[in-house]
Amino acid sequence: MNEHPQPEEIFDEYALGVLEGEERHAFESHIEACPACLRKVEEARARMALLALATPQIQLPPGAKERLLRRVASPSPAPLQQPAPFWGWTTAALAAATGVLALALLFIAARNRELLRNLRELEARQTQLLESERRLGEESARAHAVLDILTSPQTVRVYLASTPSRLLPEGKAFYHPQKGLVFYATNLPRLPAHRTYQLWLVPPQGKPVSAGVFNTDPQGNGEVLLPSLPLGLPVKAFAVTVEPAGGEPQPTGPKVLAGVTS
Amino acid sequence: MRRLAQGDESALATLYDRYAGLVYSVARRVLGDAGAAEEVMQDLFYQLWWKARDYDAARGGLGAWLLVSARNRAIDRLRQRKRAEALAPEQVAPLAFDLESSVAQAELISRVKSALGGLSESQRQALELAYFEGMTHSEISQRTGEPLGTVKTRLRAALQALRQVLNP
Repeated sequence: MNEHPQPEEIFDEYALGVLEGEERHAFESHIEACPACLRKVEEARARMALLALATPQIQLPPGAKERLLRRVASPSPAPLQQPAPFWGWTTAALAAATGVLALALLFIAARNRELLRNLRELEARQTQLLESERRLGEESARAHAVLDILTSPQTVRVYLASTPSRLLPEGKAFYHPQKGLVFYATNLPRLPAHRTYQLWLVPPQGKPVSAGVFNTDPQGNGEVLLPSLPLGLPVKAFAVTVEPAGGEPQPTGPKVLAGVTS
Repeated sequence: MRRLAQGDESALATLYDRYAGLVYSVARRVLGDAGAAEEVMQDLFYQLWWKARDYDAARGGLGAWLLVSARNRAIDRLRQRKRAEALAPEQVAPLAFDLESSVAQAELISRVKSALGGLSESQRQALELAYFEGMTHSEISQRTGEPLGTVKTRLRAALQALRQVLNP
């Protein structure tokens, strides 16, 4: 791990949001891997929150409390009726939905290309028609299962970032305790032939559980789709380590990515 | 919070009475518009109500979390940034001060104001541009027309001074 950020005021600067560019990048990389400094950030946020008290205290608009209580009394999440349309909530929900949709579309586009390739194969090799059909069916079921995880509201999303100072490699884990795990990583360095990346699911209690090994393409992208995991396993964090080819029952090598559920 | 998680509306009313004024005031200061500020405030309390079960009260004081979230959401809205996260966008340590009663709030408000009163005008301006307008170092430098290095030094000195006064 690189050295702790100095001086102490940098924690306030980060909580305030004035850091930018490389300075902010280096700071974030550090706190992601350093619980002690992350705690200092949480303290700095509380300290900076006090600045909110410097502003003149303004009387709440009449009827605001009743509007809130009326809104929570409605049976499902509903928009604010008065005095103006409640754009904040719908925009946030739309943004979230758009994000999921964009991911899903990206995934579908990738799958589409693959299916098209498969179709051309079918035309060229009619004798293998049945075999290809079976494969397509499997692919589509698999794509469906992956999409299901990406879009389910119960899915936990964990973003994994590199532990050293430069935040180049990144991972994204989409985990649903009943439906499974979808994991993508990017910008990972190429490993020698006798080494492999291994993804770990870290439960709140007990030892890490292997969620499979994976290798990267020449661009450094890797993925683990629907590994076999015990059903209903709770998760605290995900991590990626470098292990001997074939993987290990417990992590032994250096940790290259880690992310905790928020 | 436990009462809130169980769906007790009077618990929400209590939290509203305690914190809504602070939340509204900071949102109003950032956004400068009563309607928009009320939406931020309502949004926050509404989510608190629906997501109270997910909110780990043990990890952070509610008062600090509300203040941080109110400011961040108002800034996001001001700068039209999207924040797609759920209830706990950021973990916040509990405040080192009591914020639960109106007397305690009034005391703390005067303490913060006198702490800011001890800063120079330019220090206070830099701090306010950062906190209430969500500006970065270079944006403050552009706004004030001062060199980046000057802005950084000035802000750091202000934060150093605040630490002295605002640490209990």
